Amino acid sequence: MASRAATLTFEWTMSTLRMKGFPWFPVVILGTLALAAIFADVLAPHSPEVGQLGQRFKPPAWQQGGASQFLLGTDHLGRDVLSRLIFGARVSMVVGLLAVFVAGTIGTFLGILSGYMGKWTDQLIMRVTDTWLAIPALTFAIFLAAILGPSEMNIVIILSAVYWTRYARVIRGEVLSLREREFVRLAIVAGCSKWTIMKRHILPNVLNTAIVIASLQLGVVIVAEAALSFLGVGVPPPKPAWGLMLADGKKGLMAGYWWLTVTPGMCIMLMVLSANLLGDWLRVKLDPQLRQL
Amino acid sequence: MKKFILQRLTYSLISLFLLSLTIFLFVRLTGDPTVLLVEPGASKEDMAMIREQLGLDRSLAVQYASFVKDIVRGDFGKSFYYRTPVLELYLSRLPSSLFLAAAAMVFSLVIGIPSGIIAAVKVGKFWDNFGKVFALLGLSMPQFWVGLLLILFFSVYLGWLPSSGSGTIWHVIMPAFALGWFFAAAHMRITRSSMLEVLGSEYVKLARLKGLPEKRVIVKHALKNALIPVLTLAGINLVLMVNVAVVVETVFAWPGIGRLLYEGIAFRDFPVVQTTVLLSGSMIVVVNLVVDVLYAVIDPRIRLGA
Amino acid sequence: MPIARALVAALALWTVTVTPAYAAPEGQLTWGVHITLAPTWFDPAETPNLITPYMVMYALHDSMVKAMPEHPMVPSLAESWKASPDGKTYEFTLRKNVKFHDGSPLTAEDVKYSFERYRGTAAKSLKERVASVETVGANQVRFKLKNPWPDFLTFYALSSGAGWIVPKKYVEKVGEDGYKKAPVGAGPYKFVSFNPGVELVFEAFDQYWRKSPSVKRLVFKMIPDETTRLAALKRGEIDIVYSIRGELAEELQRTPGLTLKPTIIQAPQWVAMLDQWDPKSPWHDRRVRLAANLVVDRNAINQAVTLGHSRITHSLIPSTFDFSWKPPAYKVDVAQAKKLMAEAGYANGFDAGDYYMDISYANVQEIVAGMLQQQLGIKTRMKNVERAAYWSGYTDKKYKNLAYTASGAFGNAATRLESFVVKGGPFVYGSYPDIDGLFAEQAAELDRKKREAILHKIQQLVHEKAMIIPIWELGFLNGQGQRVQESGLGLIPGHAYSAPYEDVRLKK
Repeated sequence: MASRAATLTFEWTMSTLRMKGFPWFPVVILGTLALAAIFADVLAPHSPEVGQLGQRFKPPAWQQGGASQFLLGTDHLGRDVLSRLIFGARVSMVVGLLAVFVAGTIGTFLGILSGYMGKWTDQLIMRVTDTWLAIPALTFAIFLAAILGPSEMNIVIILSAVYWTRYARVIRGEVLSLREREFVRLAIVAGCSKWTIMKRHILPNVLNTAIVIASLQLGVVIVAEAALSFLGVGVPPPKPAWGLMLADGKKGLMAGYWWLTVTPGMCIMLMVLSANLLGDWLRVKLDPQLRQL
Repeated sequence: MKKFILQRLTYSLISLFLLSLTIFLFVRLTGDPTVLLVEPGASKEDMAMIREQLGLDRSLAVQYASFVKDIVRGDFGKSFYYRTPVLELYLSRLPSSLFLAAAAMVFSLVIGIPSGIIAAVKVGKFWDNFGKVFALLGLSMPQFWVGLLLILFFSVYLGWLPSSGSGTIWHVIMPAFALGWFFAAAHMRITRSSMLEVLGSEYVKLARLKGLPEKRVIVKHALKNALIPVLTLAGINLVLMVNVAVVVETVFAWPGIGRLLYEGIAFRDFPVVQTTVLLSGSMIVVVNLVVDVLYAVIDPRIRLGA
Repeated sequence: MPIARALVAALALWTVTVTPAYAAPEGQLTWGVHITLAPTWFDPAETPNLITPYMVMYALHDSMVKAMPEHPMVPSLAESWKASPDGKTYEFTLRKNVKFHDGSPLTAEDVKYSFERYRGTAAKSLKERVASVETVGANQVRFKLKNPWPDFLTFYALSSGAGWIVPKKYVEKVGEDGYKKAPVGAGPYKFVSFNPGVELVFEAFDQYWRKSPSVKRLVFKMIPDETTRLAALKRGEIDIVYSIRGELAEELQRTPGLTLKPTIIQAPQWVAMLDQWDPKSPWHDRRVRLAANLVVDRNAINQAVTLGHSRITHSLIPSTFDFSWKPPAYKVDVAQAKKLMAEAGYANGFDAGDYYMDISYANVQEIVAGMLQQQLGIKTRMKNVERAAYWSGYTDKKYKNLAYTASGAFGNAATRLESFVVKGGPFVYGSYPDIDGLFAEQAAELDRKKREAILHKIQQLVHEKAMIIPIWELGFLNGQGQRVQESGLGLIPGHAYSAPYEDVRLKK
């Protein structure tokens, strides 16, 4: 049984890979970053959090004044930039994926509930969603940051609390039409409970949509995390979060320490770009009607 | 139709009421504003006196009641920090924000629409990918970084544009680009999907059958119809741009609403935060209402579905 | 596509012809300010006990007695004063022919009015000690105190806005709100306009009594981002810039034509060890506290963050304050520190838990945390809280372990100790009975010499017990551009901003 499932998964994967227009670029980038995140402890040559003040602002190894043990140079506290980037992949991945997952779960749950139950449940959820949407996302995040205080976990909570609305809205719309479909009607006639129908029949049919939104939201969340760092309410130092590195390093930009912003900036850019390209591809694959998600 | 509009209006009012309550409570959860109005180490009595002056010694229910009552009368209160009427502050910032948003909209459409069209017409070709990636880059790079790179290049290195502030047309170029680029991807995506939809329609097929040149089909027939959803989204995004520019405003010292709100939160300036969020929220709610109603006018099925 | 071609051509033309090079206006000096100016700062009656309002006060207003380059207490609007032998009466003689910006003369009545109108932070403590204020003719004012109060002049003129004089007639005419919109004072510069969060404009007041100001117009532009501020200075859009730190300050120093102008604010920063009164905490052991002090390399931090322009004082009391005592310096001695840790039973360090800090100074605290971990194995988790939440959390006694502390409040050694060291203070998490006893003793001591001796003794105890990890008195790094002859920065010791404004000059 298990081996059969494995074979099927393998075949599915292979056929997907052979597909025309398969987004190799984003998959390779995201895969590399994921590997860096998982094996950060092995890959990073130095400690990401402790540095030597005497080694501040060393340029990348190939530049004049660079040192071979700091491939991408060092930052304002003499910490190895490469090591921070590698560990930063972990922070960004964990924060990004967790936030997207939690927001997706909340949003999908509320969307299904709202769409299937209708009546006052629907009213309540949709009015709360409207209220949420009336506060600009970043403002909302700054607010929550001021209330909750800084920590990596709180950033996840903040980002999930802010970004669930999109799932709820889109999925509610989807459920409204699913509700009228034959197989749901049959399930009702067969005497399935509301919860069973929502879990067994509705949920699997909206998952594709949720996944597409999630892949597009991953980028939004990561950029939002960087913006929060810029405004001083992001992941607290000395954690090597890319957003924080970029915000810290921006002061060095004018002083010629380009590697402090260009490297984390490129990492963020590649990751978000990849997430978006993958999301766009998934959208076309999973949502042939090309609705606006 | 009347019933539909009335229903939507009720929804909007409920949202605004919930918003006022949410923001009122949220802003109070962020902590005590008095500690910011004195140097650390001030005495308890001094702080109590300030709290009394600001009316924060009253119970939450009383404060909320007077907040709502004042708003209904058109009085949005006085800023704790500036000690001037909040509405005055808000209105002094609004024109800059509108100007920035309008300019940013121009950039985002100039980037978004052509790249969307190319992506739809030349699927999978080089220009498709190029346009797509360029539009997506605006979404992928944190705005403050883009902003600083622009300042360094155009103000410090080339010396062409003023680094910050407002006042002339030159001042708006960089902040508008940084903000507009961010929204370009959204406009690219919707242009692309709406173009694909229109290109697949009977109407366009007919135009092609008539033997019109492809360029003409795309520009004259397809684009005209495909632009409706794009402009709708642009309308909604324009309102968002007015309200979400806090990072760009900070980098470029642009005197807009986002900055007012951000400082309001930092100073725990309750009246400023409440008013700004409420007025921004009203803007967003009203635009959504208008879009809903317009769509219902165009497509009667929506009316029944709701 | 002819349109596209035309666009490209237009763009090319624009880049060639229209490169708007910036020309600074004649006779105008422009500041790039890091903080948000508030109208309450225009009104001496509302000045909080903060350093920042004095950025505006020195231009718009004048005080009876104020800090000037030559001395911390220079007669200004008051030509002279004398205290009665019992220390209960102060009599001020006003300078003659001083005018407000609206042309009306400054009289004793205005002085009395300004004192009574003052409602800022120190209002209560000031007014409950003053029995009465009388005018004696047009240019003499007599303050009667309830009890002798040696610090009266400090509080009246320096730590409050009560001694900064506003025109009674004008305020009564335009009302409180009207005054904040169009303030009138007796300072060297007149108010022109204020756009909240954007800019503040002043114009020279030629009849200023001390001298006619040299620069015609002062403009204060608010530019929140540090990099943008420096970019504006480089381009000559502004002439003086406040608060440029770390690598940006290095860049400022390197840029031809720009000059780094550090000032020192009388606001010491230190790390408080909040758990030292808990016998279970490692910080309870003096050896651990001392070890921590021995591994913090203050000079290295100074170099890295403020380019060596901060003042290392090893005290929580500004060295410029009355009754301050200069503690011996801590020398970095890692071996000794490790030995102390081993004796205390923490040879391999310990997990010290949360380290609370205000985000504005997270860069400094990050280094301190790194040094503790690297040298002694004391691990901390940084909790960087934004300013508002930080100080309320501090006074609500929500913190544990380590907390960054700083204070720019005015006063003297006694007022500082009261807030941060002695039992009952708003920032005190625990105290030592011997210090509390001595503090009560000095509060009742009328003889200045004896009081000073007791206050010195207390500060000595703070040092011996290694109660805190002092960092520095913060060096505030600013810059000036090519057009500036005299920026006024650093002229008055302990004053962070440009002052006195009448001495500020552009190059000829």
